[in-house]
Amino acid sequence: MRGVRSTLVWLAAIVAASALAFWLGGYATDVYRKMLIWVALALSYNFLFGIVGQVAFSHFAFAGVGAYGVVILAHKLGMPFGAALVLALALCALLAFIVALPSTRLEGFYLALATLAFSQLVIVVISEGGDLTGGTGGIANYRLPSVFGYAIRGPWYTVLLVLLVAFTLWTLRRLDYSAFGRACRAIRDNAVAAAAMGVDVRRVKVQAFTLTSTLAGLAGIAYAYIDNVINPPVFGLENIFLLLFMVIVGGSGSHVGAIVGAVFLYLAPFVLEPIVGHGFLLVFGVLVVLTILFRPSGLAGLLNRRTARGTT
Amino acid sequence: MSDNPLIAVGGLTKHFGGLTAVEDLGLDLFPGEILALIGPNGAGKTTTFNLIAGVFAPSAGSIMFGGARIDGLPVHRIASLGLMRTFQHNMPFAGMSLTDNILVGCHTRCDSRPLDILLGRRRVRDQEAAARRRAAELISFLGLQDRIDDHVSTLSFGEGRLLELARALAGQPRVILLDEPAAGLTQPEMARLGAAIRDIAARGIAVLLIEHDMHFLFPLAHRIVVLNFGRKIAEGEPDGIARDPEVIEAYLGEAVGGMAARQGHA
Amino acid sequence: MEDLLELVVSATASGCIYALVALAYLLILRPTSVINFAVGEWAATGAFIGVAILTPLIWPRLEGPYWLALLAVPAILGVLGWLVEALTVRPLIRRGASVTSSILALLGVLIIFREGLTLLFGADPLPSPPPLGFKRVAFGPFAGGSQQFLIIGVTFVLFAGAWLFFERTIWGRAFEAVALNRRAAALMGINLRLVTTLAFVSGGMVAGLAGLLMSPLTSAHYMMGLPIAIQGFTALVIGGVGRVEGALLGGLVLAFVEQFGARYLPIPSGLTLGFPFVLLILFLFLRPSGLISPREAR
Repeated sequence: MRGVRSTLVWLAAIVAASALAFWLGGYATDVYRKMLIWVALALSYNFLFGIVGQVAFSHFAFAGVGAYGVVILAHKLGMPFGAALVLALALCALLAFIVALPSTRLEGFYLALATLAFSQLVIVVISEGGDLTGGTGGIANYRLPSVFGYAIRGPWYTVLLVLLVAFTLWTLRRLDYSAFGRACRAIRDNAVAAAAMGVDVRRVKVQAFTLTSTLAGLAGIAYAYIDNVINPPVFGLENIFLLLFMVIVGGSGSHVGAIVGAVFLYLAPFVLEPIVGHGFLLVFGVLVVLTILFRPSGLAGLLNRRTARGTT
Repeated sequence: MSDNPLIAVGGLTKHFGGLTAVEDLGLDLFPGEILALIGPNGAGKTTTFNLIAGVFAPSAGSIMFGGARIDGLPVHRIASLGLMRTFQHNMPFAGMSLTDNILVGCHTRCDSRPLDILLGRRRVRDQEAAARRRAAELISFLGLQDRIDDHVSTLSFGEGRLLELARALAGQPRVILLDEPAAGLTQPEMARLGAAIRDIAARGIAVLLIEHDMHFLFPLAHRIVVLNFGRKIAEGEPDGIARDPEVIEAYLGEAVGGMAARQGHA
Repeated sequence: MEDLLELVVSATASGCIYALVALAYLLILRPTSVINFAVGEWAATGAFIGVAILTPLIWPRLEGPYWLALLAVPAILGVLGWLVEALTVRPLIRRGASVTSSILALLGVLIIFREGLTLLFGADPLPSPPPLGFKRVAFGPFAGGSQQFLIIGVTFVLFAGAWLFFERTIWGRAFEAVALNRRAAALMGINLRLVTTLAFVSGGMVAGLAGLLMSPLTSAHYMMGLPIAIQGFTALVIGGVGRVEGALLGGLVLAFVEQFGARYLPIPSGLTLGFPFVLLILFLFLRPSGLISPREAR
């Protein structure tokens, strides 16, 4: 019965979120779509940051690899879309694996720095990629090809994004509530004790990094077809800071927290800008500091004591 | 106690720079036996413990577990072979529930491959169910049922020690290493612990422990190995050890001398 | 040949700026293990304070002498460093929170500073006048702008001071002791709180000066903080976290690789932006202890 009820809840949520797509007008649709991408990214980032306890700055770089990968393969090199999609994801996974292998050996904050350097290098390489990557100007003038004769446009594309979020959440929750998820949290809480319990710490870190980065790549691919324009700055440092803030303020380690944090911090500027102008970023900085100092369980902790997975 | 040692240590030596912490140590541990490692501070007990647990590799010598060499293997490999340990200072997973903490102990019995988990393989589900049953058993075995819904950080020190033990037992190890399990416990807590350890050994698990508290140790241990300055200076049953002049000279002094006298009259 | 020597001067000057930022990191990192990425923004703040004092661009009524800026920048940044430590880091340390929490909180502080600078001073770059004028100066075969030599001079003085502090003074020894073993240091009677506060105050002062010194060359603008924070940290990793000399060496190595690489390597100039990151990755993986090994703990 539990299984049936939870499936119904999922379906209801997906239907409601999709229905919203048909109801929203032009500008609001763009906001909604981008928000969905941020939610997807926040979910996967939260797993790595809040559940495995690894601070990494490469999440957007992998989104970029996914986006640029699919656009270059499908539109510059003329590959069939299905193949381009799979290949772009495979490239993400492979690159993430290669980055993860040495990086997970680093102590403390140095993983964050290595991934920071990596992500900046990705930006530099993309910016200098000439014709292939469109350089600093990026690539434009492409469209999502028809899939099985259907052109997925308008509100249907938004529904696709809703499904992306649902898929990401489903995957991450499933992994969370398993021996793998427990191993991840054990590593976060006490890596020495985790190893003593038989957890292969290196291996789990590499797996988690590869998985979450590939999910980021998937989100990146979905992003590429929102505006049908991609350029380097989107995948840069500014956004990774914002993503980090979303996850912290939302409540690190909690899937609901990631969603709440992403929605809140993404929509807040639209509300705050008329009032405080550009200063909303300052507000975010203050929120992050306050969260870390006073309520590390974040907004999720505020909203619902039992959302934080301390009580199974 | 049966014939073949489960753990066989031979010629174990460990240098830290210019310091020799353990030298040419040999000991055997049999299934179902409670072996205590004692000695004055700096005698090399912790180093020996950590060598067997795989925290670092020996400078010389070998450690055999069930006939296979484990010295030099990474900690998690040794754990998966069936050797678990507790820590002297409680090291719970503070962000997880009581049950989840113990379930991590079952890690070696559960398939944790992401792909298998995502595909919802039957084996994964069965292992998960079995692990949860085991965790529930252990919680009642150690009397922690009342705390099952509480956050790990709210456990008392004594309860935290029991959690350490539960976690180490969850994976159904063949050998369990206990690092000063009685330290900081009240008398009733010590009694509970002692009973639990006896029960564990009775099930055929080999227990190696480091302890300083002789009153706790002597009634409990089947055999005692005494170290001093990194070398084994005595080995045998508690009575003999209590009376061994070299041991007494090394560190026990009046305390056990008096205890030996009492044991003699018992 | 003249070209080469000019490049040497230019690289040395840039290297000195990186070295100063690396020193700011080091002063904080050693006793607290906290990597304070906000030092870049502190440098930017120093640059803006310089502009505010030296030019009428911000406060039209004030157009002061250089020595005023030279005093005001460390004074103000010292206070700001103290504030950040008291409000953000101290509560976290007192709570026993992980080092990572402090580092992340300081990222929030970074954003607060950056946005604060934008709100106060606007988004346009503001030029800062070099105190010794725009003339070219020559020391033997080495020629360059007067500001470059000023940077080099001040940096060497500061580093000499820092070296003396760590090697020869009681307080410097206290810093080292805390860096090696916090608990033991506390047991020996060293006031951990005071050391932490001093670390942040001195880090702020050095970072502010770095910003003041670099602003005539780069102007003061609100986005200058993050790149310099990354470059400064890379310099620290290259040089080695353990010793003051390491920060200086690391800064020089980074600057020389950047500028000589850009000049003489046959690769498109855009790619040279990647040098700091390549170096950072190389050192993190291959030689994390840096070029100069830390003192052995006794």
